[in-house]
Amino acid sequence: MKKASMFAIALLLLCVRASAHHGNSAYDETARVTIKGVVTEFVWVNPHCQIYLDVKDKNGNVVHWAVETNSPAILTRAGWTRRSFKAGDEVSIILCPAKNGAPVAYIGTGDPGTKVIFADGRELDFAEKTAK
Amino acid sequence: MLVVLVLPPLAMAQTQTARPVDSHDLSGVWQFASGGGGQGPGDNFPPLTAWGQAKYDANKPGYGPRAAPGGNDPILKCDPTGFPRILFQIWPFEILNVPGRILMFFEGQHTIRPIWMDGRKLPADPDPTWYGYSVGRWDGDTLVVETVGFNDKTWLGAQGQPHSDQMKTIERYRRIDANTIDFHLTIDDPKTYTKIWEAEPRTIKARPGVEIAESFCVASEEEEFARRIREPAARQPGKE
Repeated sequence: MKKASMFAIALLLLCVRASAHHGNSAYDETARVTIKGVVTEFVWVNPHCQIYLDVKDKNGNVVHWAVETNSPAILTRAGWTRRSFKAGDEVSIILCPAKNGAPVAYIGTGDPGTKVIFADGRELDFAEKTAK
Repeated sequence: MLVVLVLPPLAMAQTQTARPVDSHDLSGVWQFASGGGGQGPGDNFPPLTAWGQAKYDANKPGYGPRAAPGGNDPILKCDPTGFPRILFQIWPFEILNVPGRILMFFEGQHTIRPIWMDGRKLPADPDPTWYGYSVGRWDGDTLVVETVGFNDKTWLGAQGQPHSDQMKTIERYRRIDANTIDFHLTIDDPKTYTKIWEAEPRTIKARPGVEIAESFCVASEEEEFARRIREPAARQPGKE
């Protein structure tokens, strides 16, 4: 069921429009990496919304991650709002990491499977919810 | 489960197709379907002139075979996307009929492009602009739009295809059902390309229920984004 849903979402994304905004060559779009951390800031601006979070690495050191995503208009159609995150929220993010190893990443349309999972199991992805 | 999830949009499409369609009314919200040339007119461009090649070599795109982190895509600084590139962006656009004109209202950069439909001729010596000067007419069921008067500051697509201020474009839009427009684009730019370029044919799909939102590219916010995300993501190890 979950697998089928993911596949369907991937298909829908491809049908809608598969690609990001400004050139994603800095990111490894073939990779999917999961990070878990605490949100410090959510920036809701055009044309790239941004999620910042503190993530503990395997040595217990806090690393500050920056995650780029789509525009407010695209995210709104996928069910996000400017209040989707508040500082202190615990989240996991499945993302495409920067090729250079910096703690910077992309999630969004064009990269099926990228999404945010909250501690209570709620998810935010990029499949359109508001379009008929 | 897969079938159940995918069915609703198809069912919607069939319902809408059943309604009679005025082929001369393209009003509504639309978006280019994926495929063809991605975010641009395609890879099938003719051989470049020497001038065009120099310009192409200077363009450092974030997409396509020459993609590299960083780059100098003009839209990274919120320059106007320009025409025809704005057609191929990932955002929807609305077509509006007003007396004497058709307006294209693009979500990306919140841009309006007028197409004059009152029978006027193209201007002989237009000022160069980001979107040019567009005149349209109906040829049977096909809307034919001719545009001249571009500046040479924009890319035709995300892969850095160049153009000059000599460019003339011809678009052809034919509504083949309620939800689909067949799209063809001809690019005639003898300063940049050695032949007329017939771009890869594309399909434009209706986006029922989508409202055009305010999606300006704001330079000050984009600079901050570049500082916090784009530049760290593109930085090459050892060159910090």
